[in-house]
Amino acid sequence: MNGAQHILDAFHRHSIDTVFGYPGGCIMPLYDALVDDVTVEHVLCRHEQGCALAADGYARASGRLGVCIATSGPGATNLITGVANAHRDSVPMLVITGQVPSDLIGTDAFQETDVLGMTLGIVKHSYLVTDASDIPAVMEEAIELANSGRPGPVWIDIPKDVLLERADAGIAFNRHGQRSICPDLTQAIAMIRDARRPLLYSGGGVSLAHCETAFRRFANASALPAVVTLKGIGNAGKHNPHNLGMLGMHGSLAANRAVDECDLLLVIGARLDDRATGKLDEFAPNARMIHIDTDQAEINKLRSADVSLRGPLEQILDGLFEAVTKQPLMIDEWQSQCRQWRTTGGFSAADNEAPLAPITGPAFIHQLSRIAPDDTVVACDVGQHQMWVAQHYEFDHPRHHLTSGGLGTMGFGLPAAIGAQFANRQSTVINVTGDGSFMMNAQELATIRRYGLPLKIIVLDNQCLGMVRQQQELFYNNRESQINLDDNPDFVAMARAFDIPALHIDRTDQVRRGIETILAFNGPMLLHVAISREENVWPIVQPGGSNRNMINESQHANRKNEEHIA
Amino acid sequence: MSTQFPQPLPSHTLNCRMAFEPAALERLCQVVRIRGFRVASMAVESMGEHIDIQLTLEGTRPIAMLQSQLEKLHTVVEVALGGRSEVRSRAG
Repeated sequence: MNGAQHILDAFHRHSIDTVFGYPGGCIMPLYDALVDDVTVEHVLCRHEQGCALAADGYARASGRLGVCIATSGPGATNLITGVANAHRDSVPMLVITGQVPSDLIGTDAFQETDVLGMTLGIVKHSYLVTDASDIPAVMEEAIELANSGRPGPVWIDIPKDVLLERADAGIAFNRHGQRSICPDLTQAIAMIRDARRPLLYSGGGVSLAHCETAFRRFANASALPAVVTLKGIGNAGKHNPHNLGMLGMHGSLAANRAVDECDLLLVIGARLDDRATGKLDEFAPNARMIHIDTDQAEINKLRSADVSLRGPLEQILDGLFEAVTKQPLMIDEWQSQCRQWRTTGGFSAADNEAPLAPITGPAFIHQLSRIAPDDTVVACDVGQHQMWVAQHYEFDHPRHHLTSGGLGTMGFGLPAAIGAQFANRQSTVINVTGDGSFMMNAQELATIRRYGLPLKIIVLDNQCLGMVRQQQELFYNNRESQINLDDNPDFVAMARAFDIPALHIDRTDQVRRGIETILAFNGPMLLHVAISREENVWPIVQPGGSNRNMINESQHANRKNEEHIA
Repeated sequence: MSTQFPQPLPSHTLNCRMAFEPAALERLCQVVRIRGFRVASMAVESMGEHIDIQLTLEGTRPIAMLQSQLEKLHTVVEVALGGRSEVRSRAG
């Protein structure tokens, strides 16, 4: 076997049957080997960034490893945003790139870039393979690393001559994984029992550790009031009466109030990101904290934990479940208070009664949530629509909500939806996007058409970069700068040019029919939804501000009136 | 440009043992920089399959946070702050 065939051999050993890639000069030996391979489906995207983001979406939706492939130079550099996206959200990914032949490395050869050097900050680990006989062991180690502990992308860069080199190599690989032992939970359980106002705070680490069931069992049994981060949406399930929703900059008043008033934070699989905590000094000022995370470096990174637990999350959750089942928590008053906050300070998107009224983003998303099947996967892009989905779509599982949390990558949604559709061929997959984000990877419409993917695309079009416009309005004296997109193409015609049927709606009475039409259509379809340019995401916390100082729509309107009168 | 002399920053000594691979020092220095420290001095000694690196670092952030981040690097074997008593194996 040559080096390229050893790569495919590793794919077979690990049941990797779907990869996303784009060929080019230095990776051609691998593409040549793919010709004879019948078990690995290679999905040809139309841009390497699309490949990486599709692999990311595939991994998020399935819980399996995402794999992307590209050539040297621009192929590799185009992957970088997608790989950084996976790195920031701890998505397991294997990246394979061709490199210029060994004797040309360092000579400024055609399509040469120092891939190893330029990607150090966005990978969990990386390799430059110099000998084909190393490939089997490197592949084993890379796959193990990408999936284990806190997952992340691992990049393997392989010169063309090494891909062509014949080598009969065995797999000499020592697994580094150690058997984790469940830590002592005594102190944590005592703290939970002592607390009068304990709050469950969960993030993306729950699904990354494949602990959705154990988490839900504990959340239900403990009946702890709960808040979630953007990536933790769905952890508690859509029917948990104690779930107060997302906290943070665009979180619910109920969630942020509960954090402000709680006396114990039980943080599970979350890293206390600035978008969630707001001004750290004023975050949960009265609370002690138990921090449970697989990554030691996250413990005490931003806020000291009174108790930290690192170990197998499922066993920890089972231990906590057992404790609260044996002796239920006595927090009736706090639960009742949180339920009241949920009623008065949860996310609410009023349906517009006037049939000819313009469509509002929150009401549209709420309607979509009611109509789409429960197991629908929604891949968002980044911006106002992303926050409206986080606020108003009710997810029953964290793997149904694909969102670029850490990096905030505009253009994520469409390729991620493609990856999710390959992971769940029978599921309904919807890309909810904005007019800004959609244009960042619109070339992937060709990928959807090529593979006949039945995914649905909803473009919420406000003819501007809405989130930037909103912050300019609120925090930069309404001085709009470079946010105007009123010369967008005709998105319906554009979809049709890719042979994808499309509809346009702009009135409230068209919403239900529009959603039902695209969901019922047997194939890909785009719904173009015209919404107001002036609409904002409410509530909002000023970047760097305290979550206690949320601004809601009525406060903002009052302030504007006062300024007008003055 | 400021003409004032910068205030002296807290200084830390850190010893790191890493697998001897081509990008070892780049990996180390990248983490040191992005986590808020600057290298005042660095000594590297090859020890067969490993390299031992002694760093004098300057920075205002907690050095234990940098230690935790360095221990996450796959090729780092151990990181010690100051003296040997503060050695933590990467298994943590």
